[in-house]
Amino acid sequence: MLDDIHIRRLILLSAARDAEAFEQLYRLTAPVLLGVAFKITGRRELAEEVLHDAFIKIWHAAARFDPMATRPVAWMATIVRNRAIDTVSRADVARVISVDEDEDSLDRYFDWSDASEDEADSARMRHWLRGCLDELKGGERQALVLAYMHGLSHGELSNQLAKPLGTVKSWVRRGMQSLKQCVDSCMGVS
Amino acid sequence: MKLDQSPLLDALCGEYLLGTLRGAARARFERACTEEPRVALRLQHWQHVFTPQPSEAFRMQPAPRTWQHISHDLDLRRYRQPWFARVGLWRGWALSATAALTVWLGASLLERAPVAPVMHPIATLASGAGAAPVVASLSDDGRWLQLAPSRPVLAASTQSYELWLLPPDGGAPVSVAVLGQLSAQVPVPVPLVGRLQAGARLAVSVEPAGGSPTGAPTGPVILVGAIDAV
Repeated sequence: MLDDIHIRRLILLSAARDAEAFEQLYRLTAPVLLGVAFKITGRRELAEEVLHDAFIKIWHAAARFDPMATRPVAWMATIVRNRAIDTVSRADVARVISVDEDEDSLDRYFDWSDASEDEADSARMRHWLRGCLDELKGGERQALVLAYMHGLSHGELSNQLAKPLGTVKSWVRRGMQSLKQCVDSCMGVS
Repeated sequence: MKLDQSPLLDALCGEYLLGTLRGAARARFERACTEEPRVALRLQHWQHVFTPQPSEAFRMQPAPRTWQHISHDLDLRRYRQPWFARVGLWRGWALSATAALTVWLGASLLERAPVAPVMHPIATLASGAGAAPVVASLSDDGRWLQLAPSRPVLAASTQSYELWLLPPDGGAPVSVAVLGQLSAQVPVPVPLVGRLQAGARLAVSVEPAGGSPTGAPTGPVILVGAIDAV
């Protein structure tokens, strides 16, 4: 398992323009991040292109990385996801998504375990999110997980789930709203 | 209409994170994140809550050329330490190195050490109740702001501290950063670089976790201080 303390340190060293640290950061995290990109692009060569662009961005954005805000690998994965979604949104990109969604996908796609150096707040937040995802209605949860994991647009979700576009849009909207309300209420924010 | 005033701000943050916000709407949202501090802060809150850790079950080994391209495109050679400064090689040479070489190496390393920004105090933030003051310092280039309380002060888990810039013309407070504790070094949002000047004031309010939901201070202002020199 990737060591968050070590990864965080490598990002901060990269922010100080330490090229050796940046290369080590790549060696350690690129395989996981390529997996994230491939789930969205569905094509190996596109996933490698996304990985390249994302690491260029990570080098430039390292100075803005907030070590208190989030787990470092999750921060890097967000950059990879955003780049992958931009890539598959291009009109000239055709992709084949292999969706292997089932009841266990939430626990196969994501790592919910606690990092050793986690703040208690951060661990609680993750448990709340996992619990709140379970409380969503089936269709809403399925739409959110598919969109997140595979970068599916509303239209692609509609095809994948064989539901009208309007239904899928409202599942996504209501699902995110319910998730936020649930987590906010766990946090004690009204 | 600016996005930070939009009733859809939360929905936009959610769909942006999810990836279903596409095309022009996505580009507009990303632009707002760089131009409107409240949008960036709101997204930061969403990311804090909704960014799960990717599983390592789907690892794939990248092709060697991908790293070669990254290294080439960033011209990383410029940032690499010379061979004599790499720890692995240095360890092998250490026993036979002369004292003179040690001094020479030390000097080389010092020259290449990353330069931390030099911070200058610009304001002392204090409460009316006589609580411990907080010194605010700004980096030479005006891009980093540091808060140094005389003792550690952490927000409760359901609250955040929010730092505000109060413009000299009496205009509305502008959010600078959302903090979990008062001891912090934060980047100054790009639109505010150069605006932390004498005459303006800095203030800290207590807000719900993640920052003010309205874009203006909603909780008690616990600290305030005038910027007196930059």
